[in-house]
Formats: sequence, C-alpha cells, structure tokens
Amino acid sequence: MGSTNVSRNPTTVPDADFRAVTRGVRAALGPAVHIQDAPATLEQLARADDPPRTARVRPLEGATFITRSVRGRPEPGFVAFLDGVQQSRVVTYVDGAPIVHGTAGAAVRERRDRRMRTWHHRVEHRVYAPRQHLPAEIWDRLAPFAPVDSSAPEGDDAPSSRHPFSTLERAVHLVQRHREELEQRLAERWCDHESRPLLVDGGISGSERVARARCVVGVVKSHRTLYAVDDEIGVVLRLGPAERTSVFLIEPKKRAPVASWYLRLRDASGREPTFGLVRVEVARDPSEDLTARADQVSRWLLAEGAPLALPDARWDRMAYGIRDSEEFLRAIT
Amino acid sequence: MSSPLGRVVATERRPNTPHEFHFWTALDSPVGIGTIVRVEGAQPVENQLPQIYGIVVEGFSYTDLQSPLHDVLGHDGSPAAASLAPTERAEIRLYTAAVLRQIPEEPLQPVPMGQVFLATDEDVAVALRMDGYLKEGSRTGIPIGIYRAGGTDAPIYLDADFLLGPEAAHLNITGVSGLATKTSAVEWLLQSIFTHFPPQKGSVAAVCFNVKGPDLCFLDQPGSIDERDRALYEKLGVPPKPFERTQYFAPYHSKGHALNTLRSNDALAHNLNPLTWGLHEVLQYAEVLLNKDDIDAKADALIDFIARNVVGQDFADQILSRPHRVQSFADLEAWFRDLLRGMEAKNAESWRTHHVATIRKVRNRLSNISTRCAGLVTDDGAVSDLPFGTFEDRTVYVIDVAGLEEDAQDLVFARVITKLREALEKRELGVNHVVVFVDELNKYAPNDGQDTYVRKMLLDIAERGRYLGLVLFGAQQFRSQVHRRVVGNAGSALYGRMDADELATPGYAVLSPATRTKLATLEKGQLMVRHPHFTQPVFVRFPRPAIMRGRDGAERFPQAATPTLDQAILRSLRALDSSVTLQWVQDTIGIHEEQAIIRARNATIRSRPSDVKSFFRSQLPALVVPAAARPRPAGVAIRGTPFDDPYGNE
Repeated sequence: MGSTNVSRNPTTVPDADFRAVTRGVRAALGPAVHIQDAPATLEQLARADDPPRTARVRPLEGATFITRSVRGRPEPGFVAFLDGVQQSRVVTYVDGAPIVHGTAGAAVRERRDRRMRTWHHRVEHRVYAPRQHLPAEIWDRLAPFAPVDSSAPEGDDAPSSRHPFSTLERAVHLVQRHREELEQRLAERWCDHESRPLLVDGGISGSERVARARCVVGVVKSHRTLYAVDDEIGVVLRLGPAERTSVFLIEPKKRAPVASWYLRLRDASGREPTFGLVRVEVARDPSEDLTARADQVSRWLLAEGAPLALPDARWDRMAYGIRDSEEFLRAIT
Repeated sequence: MSSPLGRVVATERRPNTPHEFHFWTALDSPVGIGTIVRVEGAQPVENQLPQIYGIVVEGFSYTDLQSPLHDVLGHDGSPAAASLAPTERAEIRLYTAAVLRQIPEEPLQPVPMGQVFLATDEDVAVALRMDGYLKEGSRTGIPIGIYRAGGTDAPIYLDADFLLGPEAAHLNITGVSGLATKTSAVEWLLQSIFTHFPPQKGSVAAVCFNVKGPDLCFLDQPGSIDERDRALYEKLGVPPKPFERTQYFAPYHSKGHALNTLRSNDALAHNLNPLTWGLHEVLQYAEVLLNKDDIDAKADALIDFIARNVVGQDFADQILSRPHRVQSFADLEAWFRDLLRGMEAKNAESWRTHHVATIRKVRNRLSNISTRCAGLVTDDGAVSDLPFGTFEDRTVYVIDVAGLEEDAQDLVFARVITKLREALEKRELGVNHVVVFVDELNKYAPNDGQDTYVRKMLLDIAERGRYLGLVLFGAQQFRSQVHRRVVGNAGSALYGRMDADELATPGYAVLSPATRTKLATLEKGQLMVRHPHFTQPVFVRFPRPAIMRGRDGAERFPQAATPTLDQAILRSLRALDSSVTLQWVQDTIGIHEEQAIIRARNATIRSRPSDVKSFFRSQLPALVVPAAARPRPAGVAIRGTPFDDPYGNE
C-alpha cells in the first residue's frame, strides 16, 4: 500500500506516488507509451455533479419544520477536525483507455491550546485501469501496481462504457470512494479512542459505527440536495444568522439514519441564499433531548466562525479547523 | 544526539545558496537572531555527509492569512474578540541563516535540505574555525565571552595571533555612551589577554589613556560582581580579580602642587606618578602643538635649529650678549630675548638666514606652550616619564589626561605612542607587545577635518603596528566618523548597543536588518564580535570587569582637596618616607620661594632617594646667611671756615 502512517491494504501500491507510478508504468509498458506530462488533476477538469434535487424528510423535533433561534452564546466544543482530500491524474492512455493514478488522504487535526496538531492521518495511492478495455498483456504488466479495475460494474451500476470519459468518471468516483473510506476509518478510530467531539467535513452516515457515535458531528457544506420541500425550502433559505431549522431525520437507502438540521452560520443579507448555510448531522438518539443537543452543537459550530477560513472559496461555511486539515493534507499529498 | 529543531527549506523564489539558507522551526524553539545552528545534509558529497554551520541573521513569522482585512472581518473589528477564537491560525517561524562554514569545504555547494540542530559547544568551535587555534600545545585563544543560545554556553575565543599580531592586530569597539560597554569590554579583554596570552608569544603590557572622568582610575581596586558574572569568569578561565600590576601617571595641576587626576586620594598614592616633561621632550613634538599656519617651512627650520643647536648645550653667538645654556622654557625665553635685542641693536633683519618675523613668531608660539600645557610641561625642564625600557609584563600603565587641555592631550598621545613605537622597534621597551587603549577615536582620528599629527600617528600604528607588537585598542561612539584606515586595519571589532542613526550609515549595510535591530537593543554586557576567523559576526556575553567602576571609585576614594603648598609637599614626600610630618615640611621649606620648593619636591620624586628628608633639603637653594650689621662709619667733622674767609662768620 502506498500509504503514510496507515495499515496495509492489498489494493494499494507500495510507495507509489504519481511520479513513482509514472516511472513504473513507463518501465512496464515500454518507451512507446506516451506518458502524460504533468497533467491536471481530473478533479480540476470536470466534476459531474448530481442534478439539484429536494427530498422530503421526517421531523424529529416537533411536528413542523420551523425556524428556531440557537439558544445560548457560541462556545467552543470541538476538539478535533476530520477532512479528506483526493487527487487523480491520468498516467497514460493505452489504446484510448485511461490508466489513472489516484491519491486519497484523510487527517484528524486535534486542537490543543488553540493550536492544531495532527492526531492521525492516512494517505494512500492506487492505480486505476479499465481491465475490460485493455489488452490482457498490458493488464498483466500492470500487475505490480495492483490496479483497481475501473471498468468493473459497481453494485447495480452498469459496466463503464469504452468511452474514455466514462472510464475517467468511474476512476474519479473510485478515488472518491477511497477517500470516503479513509475518512470513515479515521472517524471510527477516533470513536474507538476518544469521546470528545470531532467535527467531520461532510456527512457521517457512510459508517454505521460513526453514525451512531455521539462524539462525531458531520457538517455538509454543499446543498445539491435540499432536505426540504414546498414551504420548508423557504424556511431553510430564509434562516438568519445563528438560526436553525427543526431537527429532522435522514434515512438514506444504503446508509445509516442520522438526525440533521440546517444552520445559518453567517448573515446572508444581500448574498446568495446558501451563504453561510450548513447542514449538521449527528447520531440519532431517541433518548436524548434533541432540542438541547441541536442547540449545543449549533453553538459549537457558531463558535468556529473565527478565524475565517479564507482564502478558501467556501469560507462562509467552513470551520477553520477543517481548512487546516485540508491544508495539512495538501502539504503531504 | 539531540533532536532537530528545524528543517531546511528552499523554494524557487527563495533558494538556498552556498552562503545563505532558510529553515523553519517550531513556534517554541529557542532560535533567535545570532543563534548558531548545524545542518546535517542527507546526500553524501564525495562520500561525506555535508555539515553546514550557520548563524541566524533574519527571522520571519507569518500565518495563512491572505489579507489583514480577513482577520479584522473574522473578529468583527474587535481585537478583544480575537482572543476568544477557539483556534490560533497556522503560523510559521522561518529563519535565514548565513553560512559560517561548510564541511567538506570543497566543493562549495548550495546548502542542501536537511535537519537543523542547535549548535553544541564543539559545533560552535568548528563553525567559527576556533578549532584551529585551540589545539593543545599551540593554543592561542583569548576568551572574549560566552555565546549563549538554547542552553548552549560556549566560550568564544579570539586568536591572539590575529588580535595582538603578527597575522592581524588591533581592535575597535563601538557603542553608545553611558552604558559602560566600551570601557568594560576593554577592561575585561585586557584581563583575559593577561591571563591567556600564550607564554611562548612573549610578554604583554597595556597603556591606557584615561581621557574623561574616572573610568580607568581604579583598575587595581576590586569591584562587585554577581554570581552570574562569577560563573562566566569560571567558564572562561579568567580569575575575577582587578589588575595586579598597575602604574598611574598624571600631570600636575597648573599650580604644580598636586597631580591633576581623580585618583588623588592618599590611599592610592603608592602607584601614582607625576608625568612632566621639559623643553627637550616637548620640542621634538612641537608639530603637535602648532597648527598648520604656524609650522611653515621657515618656522619649522628655526625650530629644528633650536632643537639641534641650542637646547641642552652651550650656545654662543656674537649677536648674543652672553653664552646661553637652554634647559627650560625660561632659558629659551631668555635666549630669544637676548637674540632679538641683539638684532635690534644691529638693526639686523635676519640672523643665520632666519628672518626676524619668523623668530618672533616661533618665540611667541613656543613660549606659550608651557602656559597651554601647564602642569605637564615644566619651565625648569624637569622630566618624569613612563618607564620606557623597563615596561613589565602583564602591567597596565594608565595615563590620566582627563584634566588636560586638548593640546596637551594631543602632546601626550603623540609623545607616548612615538616613544613606544621607537622602543618596540629597537626591542628596548621591556615587553614584546603593548596594547594602547584610546577612547574617543572619532575625536583623535576623525574621518574628516584637517590632518593632525595625532591622526597621522594613529594611522601609522594601525598600518604598521602589528609588525612591532604595538596594538591599538580604539573605542568610539560613532565608528562611521573614524578614519576608514584606522577602523579598516582593526582585525577585530566589537559592537555594543548602537545608535540607530549610526546603524543607518553605509558601513553597516552588510548586516541584516534583524542584526541591526539586535545591535540597537543589545543589553549591557552583550557584544557583537567580528574577527578574521569568523565569517559572520557573533553575539557574545562578557562578565562585568571585577574592577571598581569609576563612579564607585570616586565615591569610595574621594579626590583629595586642593592642598596648600606644604600639604602637597607632605603628600608627595610621605609616599617615599612615612616619617615625614607636616611640621617637618613647614620647618624645612620655611621662607623658600614656591617654585624652588616645587622643583625640590619634583627632584626628590624623580630620584627616590633613600634619605628623603636630606635629599629634599639639599635640593632647596641656600638662603643668604644673616650677618651682623657693620657699624656705621664715624662722621667726619666738617672742615672749619678759614679764618680769612671773607664770607665767613663775622
């Protein structure tokens, strides 16, 4: 496994950062293969976002979906922050089929005496190649890199087409899955060792263990899916600073159910409606006073409003601790 | 091995070079401006892992903040709110270090990436190339102070061969006035030299000119030092004691009763000597006392004639009314008077090619020297001088000229230094090396203004002294105002706290802004040292001299009140013979003239006879012996009137 500070995984490449893989592939496939010269990351080129949608949810806090002011003053509560990064680049094309190098990383940065330190981090590299679209000889030559088949059907999905864009999209998707997997492993590790609050960038429902942990809070910054319908959408988009919605239940099909609510971190007057808007996910605990829990976590999040996460474009929704984790990972990947 | 405290970094915009590199540290690392560090390279060069030694010359600190405005906005414009933020921004301490030494020294390459360690004592010695002169058996190190950083207390040594010659020599020290850094540093360094100067290099003495206040007046008296200073003395191997052998010299006050020095307390009289010169001594240095207008070629020729043919020998000429033997200024005045009278009588415009106007001018200029230099120059030609020829090893000779007029100070500098140089050239001084300490160099060797004899002489020492063993330790407040060749020839330089205006002058442009800032804020007892072996200046801490400070000395040993004539004679003679009493002095000097008494006193001091009382008495001129009045001769009767006098009595 090409990893740093991580356990071994048979599908990753030993010490295989992009340059090492590039050299290895050239050696394995021969000089006739044209190696990409410092290609841009696939994440930079295009992102196939899901179409915007809304989803109906079940309220957990009262019967209706309303605006609620967060009670109490902002107070720091999180002691650590988890974020992940990914990077995928084309190494070469063989008969039009892309061979992709992917790097995924995740890190937990702990806050001690107001300074951020790394609690734990994982970085892994993998090679993705469409086995179905490559000559068998080429696939065999790539064996030392333990490539992940980017043409294999995933779950109910159809196999990727021979269209190189399709294969690339599949590869990027696999890298993203890898990154989420690392994030979940780190979050689980935190839960195994700690009971103090951890702020996770993104949802927490991907792992049953994490989704049930009281010490983990997920913050979703993107709103391609709005968990509100009809008038509820207005409630969400009209939230004022330090206001939240009622808590509701999210029950994804293949994921664990979690309690969630929208929270406005900053005044959005004169800005686009999702400015400063985040959706919070916490473990659903029926025995708990949801209002008190939502207010407490909201107060923690509001306290993370300073320092600003600028120059990140998502600074209005991003806690500085998350940006710090991201910068750390960028520095080492 | 200690743990690393930093890592070398380099970017395309800020690359490392063979002479400079950059590294970052943790926020709480003990690194600061002046810290010496060691870099361990990871890639061998010619089968040797490179080690680079550097000294921190600049430091940077910044966060991931892109614009200060972001911080303002983040805390709603309230600085107080910033302290409530749960997280401190990511912050870096980035340092720039100047390379002191690379091992291997060839090939000279840019500093590689690697771990950075705080330099140990051994590292400091290697980094500053001190290992070359601290070898057992050929050790020539003179401790100058302690380099201190992050728990490292490393002694810093100067190389005696480069401090006192012959390789290089001279030391210049700069610093603002009032912090006692300059004087203290020189006192400490002299103590260090006297302790550590290698015996195989010969003997060494120091001549210090005390030009102001009581700074150098109590070098033989113990001063108070604290435990930290004691620890420094111990670490540097110098005993915390005052100078064991000192000799003081001072001219008299203008009246001639007492010596013109703040060290006039009776308790300190045992090593205090008068400094007086006569006509012969002064005439050799007349150039010092005469300005450029005075010493044109004609005047110079006449002065030379007088020095060669008139002074100290019988001189007769038909124009003179009598033969003259000129020994003193008084004799010279009589000679001039006789000469001019003779020329007037003969209506002569010139004598021996010297025009009467030149003669009058030289008379005028020379005759007032004894007035301008009263106390130093004696009318009677009496000489009391430094012991040229019998200088003693590890002895400090202090010449107190603080009470003299500027002209007289110049005369003292010129003559003493010239005599030292002459004696060293002939190897007749008594010691092999002499350190001459001159404060206020910007006054005596200024960068601008007219060329003076003293400046020429200081330039001569700076440029030639190291071959002779004549070493100049100069001090001044403004280095930029001292002649470039004087400071430029100083192999070693010390800098105490500096004035910001001075630091802004071009001479300091080679220092980084951070180093200049540190210089402007140096504590008392800290110095920046430049030395030929050090490729970069180093900051050191030196102990307070174990010597009574001038101010303390002036309080502890108050200056004796201006004595009456008999008190002055008593004080002088009692130093030679403790049985001398005031009553004896008063009885002895009786009604003698004051000048005669002073001459007798001076002669006694010069001769230091075994029988002081008899000798002093013998020096007084004999008084006229009283004799009985002769009887008035009896009156002669007036002859009577002739009897036939027609006008006689009736």
